[in-house]
Amino acid sequence: MSLTRYLPTPSDRMGILWNLLSIEESVVLEYGPAGTTHFSMSLFGDLDIQQQNRLFTTHMDESDVVMGDTKRLERAIIEIDKNFHPKVIFVVASSVAAVIGVDIKGICTYMQNEVQAKLVAFDQGGFRGDYTIGCMETYTLLAKELPVNPSSKKENTFNLLGASLWSYRVRSDIEELKRLLKRAFDMDLQAAFCSDTSVQALEQAGSAQINLVMQGTAVQAAKVLEKRFQTPWIYHAPYGYRATLEWLEKIGTIIGKNVDTVLADELREKNNNAMQYRMYARMLHRDKMKASLIGEYDVIQGIGTFLEEIGFQIDHKLCIHTLRSIENTEERIFSPSTEKEKIDLIKTLQKQLILADDIMLELCNSNNTKVRISPPVIRGAVFARHLPLMGERGADYILEFVEQYLQNLK
Amino acid sequence: MMNGKELLGKLGKLGDITSIKDVAPLTAALFPGTHCPLMGAAMAVRGIEDAVIMIIGTDECSYYTKHMTLYSEEFGGVTGRCVSVVLDSRDITFGSKKKLEIAMKELVEEYKPKVVFLVTTCVVEIIGDDADALADAMSEKFQISVLPVHTEHFKCENHMPGLERVITACFQLMEKQPKGETVNVLGQRMGNFASTELCRILKENQVEIGMQLPCGCSIEEIRKAPQAKLNIVVHPIALPLAKKMEQHFGIPYVFFNKFTQPTHIYEAYKQLFICLKKELPLQLESLYEQAKQSKQAASKELEGITYIYGNTPFDCIEFNQFMVEEGMSPLIIQLSEYEEEKDKQAVEKILEVTNPYVAKSANIAPMQSIYDVLHPNLYLGHEYAARLRKKGIAMVHSDKASNMLGFEVTLFITEELVRAAKEAKDLKMEVLS
Repeated sequence: MSLTRYLPTPSDRMGILWNLLSIEESVVLEYGPAGTTHFSMSLFGDLDIQQQNRLFTTHMDESDVVMGDTKRLERAIIEIDKNFHPKVIFVVASSVAAVIGVDIKGICTYMQNEVQAKLVAFDQGGFRGDYTIGCMETYTLLAKELPVNPSSKKENTFNLLGASLWSYRVRSDIEELKRLLKRAFDMDLQAAFCSDTSVQALEQAGSAQINLVMQGTAVQAAKVLEKRFQTPWIYHAPYGYRATLEWLEKIGTIIGKNVDTVLADELREKNNNAMQYRMYARMLHRDKMKASLIGEYDVIQGIGTFLEEIGFQIDHKLCIHTLRSIENTEERIFSPSTEKEKIDLIKTLQKQLILADDIMLELCNSNNTKVRISPPVIRGAVFARHLPLMGERGADYILEFVEQYLQNLK
Repeated sequence: MMNGKELLGKLGKLGDITSIKDVAPLTAALFPGTHCPLMGAAMAVRGIEDAVIMIIGTDECSYYTKHMTLYSEEFGGVTGRCVSVVLDSRDITFGSKKKLEIAMKELVEEYKPKVVFLVTTCVVEIIGDDADALADAMSEKFQISVLPVHTEHFKCENHMPGLERVITACFQLMEKQPKGETVNVLGQRMGNFASTELCRILKENQVEIGMQLPCGCSIEEIRKAPQAKLNIVVHPIALPLAKKMEQHFGIPYVFFNKFTQPTHIYEAYKQLFICLKKELPLQLESLYEQAKQSKQAASKELEGITYIYGNTPFDCIEFNQFMVEEGMSPLIIQLSEYEEEKDKQAVEKILEVTNPYVAKSANIAPMQSIYDVLHPNLYLGHEYAARLRKKGIAMVHSDKASNMLGFEVTLFITEELVRAAKEAKDLKMEVLS
């Protein structure tokens, strides 16, 4: 990587933080200079993540750095335990703590005897990769550490794995998946790793009937939960009508239920209607229906496939993060090694349906039709919980832009 | 919930401190904590219109700084003057020189910057990359000014050193000039100098304003800054630069801080006009009287009002002395700086009346339990207003004073204190009922 002109890809540590801050009854304690914590508040505020009495820093001064004195971390752990009585304290290393080699895990081990709260250490510090690595390690560690052995499985319940709050419209996606699963099988959410959840919900995650992996970063966690609680899982991000129905049918096979027929018919009919765009594609004299996608792996893979099914030629699929945390990646999806590579490419695109983040959309030519599908969000804010990219409603939403795009083609 | 009495038991008192090291934080676990000098550096570069800030550090530091600048017109928004060189684990091991060179080449080609502030962060300082040498090498290679600014937070208390270091680094851009008639304004970190009383007074007396660093200037203006006959320093962050300019270019300076005390403001004006070799404008006498009267009148309303001091745009100790003279009683003063030489006299005045607790600033989480023990009438600083109101505490809003210098500061703050004191009385009634 060379010059970074815009927002860099968030680090593993940032991914860890926005996931952990979504867990009620826990506290995140950062061991590092206070400025990083204060600086992070605006991002977490944008993501609508509660920080009050949930996020703390120890600060570090020169003697802590030079002498390796960790007393202030020990005092802070005891204070938080005593004053806030959280079920869990997540102790997160800063980049400074990671570089000087503070043994966060060791400190948590010997401090565990001093406190009631469970101590869970994250010593990554921002140098193990981008946020997807942080998300993956967070989901995996949580799956290992928090769920307790359930007395029995709770019928008709599911966990969602890979619900990272930085992902564009993830809260709407969660609501859409809940809605679909309620209609299809009368199922309810047990816990979402990690969006607007609680320690209690995660502790009971082992009782869910099935684990549904929304993003590749959570596959490892699903495997851990399968090993610990024999919970079956599927990794399938449902974008488009066909994929949504397939997803429901897969779940139905695992739990031994049929998908609600009205819903299944509705999805089939919408899928058939969407296939008529293929005819439009053939009728175009001059232009071709072309799309390029820039975003998180599962989003561009899923929406890209949906668009191909309805007659689009997909020009590019650029992933905004590394693919290290994803198993069996699609060959056509690539992650540019530099920002410049991405900028140079986006500037060449003409008269396409571009699905990307705000920055890339600003950089591309105005003769393209633009759809925001990816973080970072820098224009406006996301409030709605009913405008997903996933599922039936997500496909409806994407098609609105397809219609808009087609009006510009001849 | 925390035990407020227990927390207070661990705090020191104002009378016991000789340096900021004697001031303890309320708790070891802080929220939100102080701002870091990296943010301060970005704030300073924002006002220098044709300079680029290049952050060299982690993705996280770069992300938050760029995020801060996204909506800044002065920075130029998304495609603006804030860029970074993001270090990975390999750079941490082998150093950042090679990556910096590639990035600088791209920067020079695409942005054609006149000056680059190369701002290091904590990790760069720890691994020992020699940013000063790197900046020199880049300056030579690309034939532009690359100025290193160090912003490791573990060596300082808050964001002010970041501002100070950017401003001081600008000295390297200055060139000897024939003497002119302008005065420079140094250290206006927020707000608009043009809207201050001080600016109006200067203009009315035919004093031409020269460079305004860092609140709005160009590299060319910085280069020519030594043509000024006087520097007006409106915040301590600019004192190191003013001293350097005095030493190298013979430009005297006047320290005209955002004082609240009418006497201090009057003294600053007098000194300013002596240095300008101009008569003290008559209207200053009447403004002085007006400020004194405002202070005196407010004291009737403020007598006995208790408060916790968080942070304001004013000099902490000077302003607290002002409030104590108004008959107000500080219960806790939160500090991020304390210089015995500068603050001792004012502290002694406060101590003649009261000896409040002192704590490090920017830690509002434990304050919640303190409110229930000390029951202050007012809180001065950034807090959650709704949370304070529930406890019968009124918040004093002082951010507007960023655009003020001179007697207008006294008039504004007395009015705001009186307003807040009245609100506190109403809130107490509401809470009791």
